Amino acid sequence: MRSSYRVSGGVAARKPLFSTTSIVAMGIGTALYAAFNVFFNLLQLPGTQLVALRPSVAIPMFFGYVFGPVVGFVSGFLGNVISDAISWGGFWWNWDVGNGLLGLIPGLAVYFVKGESKYSKQGLLICAVLAVVASIIGMGFAAFTDYIFGYGISTLEEAIYALFLPAAVTDAVNGAILTPMLVSAYASAARGRARRA
Amino acid sequence: MASRVIRYVEGSSIVHTLDPRAKLTLVFSLILSATLAYSIPLVLPLLLASLAFYLAAKLPWSKVKSTWKIVATIILFLSLLNYLFVAVLFHPPEAPNAVSSEIFVRVFTPILKLLTVALAAITLVYTTPPNLYAPALGQMGLSYKAAYVIQLGLRYFPEYIEEMRRTLEAQMARGYRPRGGGNFIARILNLAPLVVPVTVSASLSIYDVADAMELRGFGESGCHTWLRKLKMSARDKAVVAVSLALLAAYVALYVARPL
Repeated sequence: MRSSYRVSGGVAARKPLFSTTSIVAMGIGTALYAAFNVFFNLLQLPGTQLVALRPSVAIPMFFGYVFGPVVGFVSGFLGNVISDAISWGGFWWNWDVGNGLLGLIPGLAVYFVKGESKYSKQGLLICAVLAVVASIIGMGFAAFTDYIFGYGISTLEEAIYALFLPAAVTDAVNGAILTPMLVSAYASAARGRARRA
Repeated sequence: MASRVIRYVEGSSIVHTLDPRAKLTLVFSLILSATLAYSIPLVLPLLLASLAFYLAAKLPWSKVKSTWKIVATIILFLSLLNYLFVAVLFHPPEAPNAVSSEIFVRVFTPILKLLTVALAAITLVYTTPPNLYAPALGQMGLSYKAAYVIQLGLRYFPEYIEEMRRTLEAQMARGYRPRGGGNFIARILNLAPLVVPVTVSASLSIYDVADAMELRGFGESGCHTWLRKLKMSARDKAVVAVSLALLAAYVALYVARPL
């Protein structure tokens, strides 16, 4: 009885790509990523020492893993556009795309981790691995396009040692630790609610 | 707090009164042209155009000071980095005097490009009210749903900063102290009491917001209009025409490479 209910529920739960829930997930993901970026990088809060570098990268990764690759990409891309514009008026489309890839790649899990196993131990491990892959590809894209188009730097060595390696390593460590943590917290919070991704 | 992070300065300058669509077109043309410009003589006119755009906005220095500090730091850091990598580490000159002008070009072309993009983007951000981006892009042909994602992002962004601050204070009242010491991984783990509640409550609220929007008819086709209807004056149209001409010229120069 219970299993048949689950199967039919699973089929009915398939949503179109741009359902209202996805649109809102993109908007909220964008706002959250931009807010985290600004909060951790820009604001000096009295009585605290928030010195971790870019813990916010876990946000697009989390949104990608839970809500799918398109939501992840948009959250990373637009969130970075907004936080860059707010913090210093910059617009670097290639870093925005790189941040979008941080969200898109964990979202690819939807193609090989099915349904509830997304939130199992194995799923969380896959999530951590994808976070590392995403950091390498995303920051690689941003750093090397900086070199190709000559934004601020002019040698390949700079792209590798000054941009790619520091960014990819910090993002990979942050993402691999914080993303599975967020996913498992979300899974237990959403358990028992009728609607969830 | 929220008002501190929104970088919009009211004003009545010529740039403030331009249609946001005209401004967006101009800024995107400048950024794309700067991307395609491959030598200093091609970057300089763009830099001057950006500078003129920035100066026409008559932004008060006290408001833009903090932004310029960040830009100056980035420029200084990248100049030194470029110099270090181009001239010292990886491409040591055999005859120092003969290649010094080439080094100069390789060190400064990227910096000038960066400054061009920064000037244009700063002017756009400081002279356009945040609630006009989505209507402007929507009325430029972007689909309603895509424009609405931008609207939602800008709508909730200040709210989540406030939420982070509230959560931090609430956790600190319970004895939480974010620490600076320890190793890299311990520092990241130390952020969990702040990052997890904000993210989980925000992602659970998605369903409520989506329900509220659907109840108000979001997602139905062909019935959406924008409350803020934008109208282009002759001046706005001229700005759009000049921007597109500029972009076309740089695309042509990039393809033909006469210089």
